[in-house]
This record gives sequence, C-alpha cells and structure tokens, in this order.
Amino acid sequence: MKRYYLAVPLLFLATFARAETPQQMLALYQQQAGGASAARGEKFFFAKVPQANGEMASCTSCHTDNPKAIGKTRAHKPIDPLAPVANRERLTDPAKVEKWFKRNCKDVLARECTAQEKADFLAFLISVK
Amino acid sequence: MGLTFKNLGLLVATLFASAFWLGYSWGDSGQPSFPPVTHQATAAECAACHMAYPAGLLPARSWQRMMATLDRHFGEDASLSPEETAAITRYLVGNAADSATANERMRRIASGIAFNAAPLRITETPYFGYLHDEVPASVWKRAKIGSRANCIACHTRAETGSFAEREIKIPKD
Repeated sequence: MKRYYLAVPLLFLATFARAETPQQMLALYQQQAGGASAARGEKFFFAKVPQANGEMASCTSCHTDNPKAIGKTRAHKPIDPLAPVANRERLTDPAKVEKWFKRNCKDVLARECTAQEKADFLAFLISVK
Repeated sequence: MGLTFKNLGLLVATLFASAFWLGYSWGDSGQPSFPPVTHQATAAECAACHMAYPAGLLPARSWQRMMATLDRHFGEDASLSPEETAAITRYLVGNAADSATANERMRRIASGIAFNAAPLRITETPYFGYLHDEVPASVWKRAKIGSRANCIACHTRAETGSFAEREIKIPKD
C-alpha cells in the first residue's frame, strides 16, 4: 500500500521534469561550453554574414533587431518573440531549441553553431528584460 | 394566356432558379476545395514557417522531391528526423493531387503538370497560373501580401481549405 503513496508524487515529478526552464537550458549549454557571455551573444545576434547569393543575412533578417518583437519568415508567417520575457514557451523544449539552432545556423552561417555560440546566445536572450 | 397563379408561380420559380445558378460559383459547395492538412506532424512542421499547404495542391512526385530535399528547402534548411520525414511524406503522397481520393480541382492541378515535371512551387503549376493570371505584379508586392506563398493574405479562409472567389479580399496596401 505504501508504494502507491510514493507513485503519485513521482508521476508528478516525471511530468514536470520534461519541461525545462530557460535557465536550465542555459546551464546545460554553459556546461558544454565552459561559460557564457550575454554580450558575445548579442554581437552574434546582430552579426551580418555574407551569403552565397552576395546578400547579407543575420538572425535579425527574420527575427527583427528586437528579440521581444514578432518576426516574420520569408513566407511572411509571424515568428513568436525569441526572448523568454516576451514568450513564455521560448527555450523550454530542448529538442526544439536544438532543431532550430541546427537549421538557422546553417541558413545564416552555412555551418552548425558551436556550444559556445549557443551558450552565449541563450545568455543574451535570457538577459533581455 | 391570362395571369394565373400557376404561371406566376412558374415565373417566380424560374427567377429563383436562374438567380441561384448565376450566383453560385465553383467552390461554393460545402466541401472545401483543398481539405486542410489533418496529419498532426505535417501540420505542425510545415506551419512552423508557412501555411500548411494542403497535400492536394501538388502531385505525389512533387511531394517526394520536396521531402527528399528538405535540407535545401527554397534556400533554407528545413530538415527533419528520418522518422518525421517518412511519416510526413507518407501523408502528403497519400493525399496528393493525383492520389486516388483527389477531387475534381486537385485532378485539374495534377493534369496540368507535364508527366516528367515535379514542380516544388504550387505557384508554378499551370492551374495556379490560370487562376491568378489577372493579378498584376504590383499587387503581389503589397506589404500585406509580400509573397505568393502567403495564400491567407487574400484567401481569407485558406486555412479551412476553402479558396472560394467570394472569400477573396485583396489588401489595399
């Protein structure tokens, strides 16, 4: 009988353990990179990178230069804000964060991002008030 | 022939019938022309960047080509896991414009495309061209439209699969 008393809180824990907070996500990347700098992350966000077609691109091309603002995809669909302060769902799903880092780093930088770049960028987004 | 209730009734009935016939246009039936995506993963992944275009807008060979080149999707990396890619491809191919369940409009899209072509852009299918040929280039450039990929900018009920003429509202700016 005693076991059942334990099962209930354990189930609760298992449910909540799946959703990470932005701070937990940052800690994870920080561990891999050995540190994080919001200032470096901010520079990374605004950095203009030449593309194969001769044009310049940056994170801000779609996300606008305000992480609290709604962005726009090339197909003109709105993108929810990047900063957790403006979008509670941002940086709470590890798989989603990795998926979009992989795609968007390839789009802008033509390569995957390093753990350091990811840690810095998360630190920057979380620092936005 | 005098004015009787019988032929007055006939006149009224004829008037109503022709009014209905004139006012009824293709796409007004209860069924949406292009039923929206019902497969959850397909809807979620496609709609992350653009409207989840109904599978019936392209033939199976186009969807196969599209899903095999997701890492270079119109100049962007839209790659998915192999499992997601397979599941989404299965849904799109099974509901494509040339699938067994395709409706009349979908078949018109499919039959307009050369057998050896597999267009990736819906806007490059001959049927799309035929239905949009009166839209001037300047209209496509309006800020609220911006892209031919932006169906919902003018087709107000596109997300329900309905593209009926009377639902079109072209933004002025």
